[in-house]
Amino acid sequence: MKKIGTTLALALLSAALSLPGQERFRKSPPPPEPRQELKLPPIETSPLFDNGLRISVVSKDNLPMMSLHLIIFDGESSSPDRSPGTATFAAHMLTRSTQLHSAPELEELIESMGGTLSVSTYQDFTLVAFYFLEEFLNQALELLGQMLLQPKFTEKEIQSVKTVLSLDLMEKEKDPEFVAKRHLIRLLFKKHPYEKLSFSRDAIKTWNQNDLLEFFDQHYRPNNAHLILTGNININNAARKVTRYLGTWQPRKLIAKPFPPIMPLQEANICFIDVPLAKDCAIYLGVQVPFSNDLDPAALSIVSQVLGGTANSRLFMNLRESKGYAYFAFSGAEFYKMGGLFCVWARVTPEFIYPSVQEILNEVRKMSKEPIAASEIDQAKPYLIGNFPVSIERFDAFSGKAAEIIAYNWGDEHWNKYYEQITLVSPEKIFAAAQKCFLQPPLIVVAGDKTRLAARLGEFESIDVYDSKGVKQYNVKKERSPK
Amino acid sequence: MLYKKIAVFGLAISLASAGLSPQAVNKFSFPLSQYKLKNGLQVILSEDYSMPVVSVAVAYRVGSISDPPGKSGLAFLMRNLMFSGSVDVPQPQLNYINRVGGRLNAAASEDVTAFYQTVPSNQLALVLWLESDRMRYLELNEANFEQERNKLLEMVRQRKTSEPYSESELAFDQLVYVDFPYSHPLLGSEEDVRDLTLDDAKNFYSAYYVPNNAVLCVTGNFNKLKARELVARYFETIPRGKDISLPIEPFVFTKKQVVKTVEDSQALAPALYVGFRLVFFAPQDYYTLTILDYILMRGRSSRLPRRLLNPDNKIAYQLNGGIDYRRDRAACKIFVVANDPDLAGQCQNAIFSELNKLKSAFPPETELDKAKNMFKRDYLNRTATSLDKAIYLCEAYFALRNFADLPLELDKYLKVTTEDIVTVAHRYFNTDNSLILNVRTK
Repeated sequence: MKKIGTTLALALLSAALSLPGQERFRKSPPPPEPRQELKLPPIETSPLFDNGLRISVVSKDNLPMMSLHLIIFDGESSSPDRSPGTATFAAHMLTRSTQLHSAPELEELIESMGGTLSVSTYQDFTLVAFYFLEEFLNQALELLGQMLLQPKFTEKEIQSVKTVLSLDLMEKEKDPEFVAKRHLIRLLFKKHPYEKLSFSRDAIKTWNQNDLLEFFDQHYRPNNAHLILTGNININNAARKVTRYLGTWQPRKLIAKPFPPIMPLQEANICFIDVPLAKDCAIYLGVQVPFSNDLDPAALSIVSQVLGGTANSRLFMNLRESKGYAYFAFSGAEFYKMGGLFCVWARVTPEFIYPSVQEILNEVRKMSKEPIAASEIDQAKPYLIGNFPVSIERFDAFSGKAAEIIAYNWGDEHWNKYYEQITLVSPEKIFAAAQKCFLQPPLIVVAGDKTRLAARLGEFESIDVYDSKGVKQYNVKKERSPK
Repeated sequence: MLYKKIAVFGLAISLASAGLSPQAVNKFSFPLSQYKLKNGLQVILSEDYSMPVVSVAVAYRVGSISDPPGKSGLAFLMRNLMFSGSVDVPQPQLNYINRVGGRLNAAASEDVTAFYQTVPSNQLALVLWLESDRMRYLELNEANFEQERNKLLEMVRQRKTSEPYSESELAFDQLVYVDFPYSHPLLGSEEDVRDLTLDDAKNFYSAYYVPNNAVLCVTGNFNKLKARELVARYFETIPRGKDISLPIEPFVFTKKQVVKTVEDSQALAPALYVGFRLVFFAPQDYYTLTILDYILMRGRSSRLPRRLLNPDNKIAYQLNGGIDYRRDRAACKIFVVANDPDLAGQCQNAIFSELNKLKSAFPPETELDKAKNMFKRDYLNRTATSLDKAIYLCEAYFALRNFADLPLELDKYLKVTTEDIVTVAHRYFNTDNSLILNVRTK
């Protein structure tokens, strides 16, 4: 009887052990293991070639793919004043025909290498990204060499590129976020070369062969370029191959154009731009960040992370989780040769545009007035450190990041020393970065369908209203109810 | 002109001499171990020390095919409910993963529902804690059920009103896969979703979200012994569920041409679906059809884009499609939006003309090599990151592929010959096996 009793007790105990309440390890998140070091291959750079070209190599051998990133150190801000967008035009024409191959032949050759080739234009540089199977490195370099040394800008291809980019822009113009950001750049950098990035479809009509040839001839030069190879290759081998295919690329004396200072906004300004038929509404806040040698990029990334880096950041928690105004709200910084741009962007439901703008302004104001709490910094740092290797794990992201570091001349501290950079930044530096970042008054652009939002615009003290082409129409002021 | 021709030839020679013919990949192998827990959970571990990150995928063999008749959308709803917290995890999963810099996602298809995370390598235990808790103790109550059902209802409505051609896409699926499990919408119908109950969700969860219906894959930078220990700690005590039988009848291949016309209220212009049901008569057909897909419509320089989207004679505005692989069946699907209402007929003729060309002449070796190289790139990318690899291994497990053969699999695609392409085109792409759905605007 006693034996049966003991067995029963043991059975009950065993059953109890498997009950939820007994699995103590489930009750709280397990502590992390010690963090592993991030050991990235170095970005090795060769001495200048005779023609002024510089190359860098990042060795990576865990995937039989390679990439070529060509940076041309001129972007949209170098487009001629009479024809904004020419830098974008030139970048797209690069792949459209050479003296030896038509556009369809180029497409076919690229795909035959298991390749993809894309171009992007930024304010201060242009980036060509070419990915392919590693056995085709010679062919890829040969093809890139043909595009650079023997381009052929036929009228047919010019028209084709203009049509494609115009249709592409037309499609983007249905998106309130795109329209808001473009308008923000237009107004924030008015009459500055940086305004040209906001080119319109009307500007595309002005693109022509002469400007294209001149732009290409002036800027697509080896002494204005940097080529980055990522894959299973070393710097000596890369230098030999690049010499073979790009050694005859002729340099040219570069004309340094005077770059005027960016005129700061005098006061905070709110405007509205029409996006006909848009269902939702986008808000873009932008602040010019003046160029400063002592602005710590690591500190700035913590500022951005706390404010709007992820769905756990202040903006998202406030505008979406707490108030229910927005689908999302984020922030981020862009770096230019002459300073930069800090942006907040949100997609909100039309009835909440006014309170959303107020909340965004409050959050931004708070960043520059109050030091960030230690607990928030302690959340932001592990995120940034943890996310860095996750974000560059893909081959294209990895090689793209290396190219970005070279394009912005950021140096090794953004590559192999990233962890230390983030870990060591002090709360004082973070607060100083926030104050510098939000020194200038902000510009806010609200984009949406005017017919749906007309009544809401009256909630603002004062708001400038622009048509869909970015032309100012009128100003709306808040109606005061009689006392 | 002569110079140009010589130059093109010159480059072609240089490509060929470097081996334009796709080369076998020595690097396509990775460490792999697998075992089963007593409760039936399949565990796959694959280490890769190239980055300090680790990915975890937990995939369940359940998808919209398991939606009971009249309860469409249940599998999709369940996917969303898996994010609503569990007994020991009071906050949404996203918060935990986000704080450590990780990323998470989920996917639901007709056959499989999977949950993925990539985190810094020192956070493996955190992910296993989260995944095991929702496998064991998912919190299902009226409040979170209502919230997720309403969100899904909104998605269903939005899809109906804002996604062009969603109505005709469903109609085409019903033409290709005639039985209910494969021919109802993944998100469910509005009426069905509205009638779903909390009990439906609870029953579905206890039937399918059980270890013996799942695979757990850990890939990336981790210590294998430590990982086994953690897997045991978090998953071993989860009780095994009942055995599950598939709700689908074996697929019966029938050869019959069907031509239909539907009106689609969201269609922007007349469109056309062309399809062919596929059952692999020979195992090698699977590889050949995949490469044929690349010859026909992958990339900008393949046959159908060149024929239909040629800027000099653009007869289509949009083209997409490919081979759609399901659990025990597949179909080749082509979707075209005519550039002009009068051109829909021309689009159809062009598609059949290209298919006939595939049957009547061997494709040039250079074209076959191009298709293989594009495929090889895509195949390599499927295991390029720890997360890609985890997804790839879960898929391979559910497709009952022999893991020992995986390193050799790519070569099977690369060995496809021009003769294989013609044979397979003859076998599957015949008018009497075609399904055509013409779409009219309302």
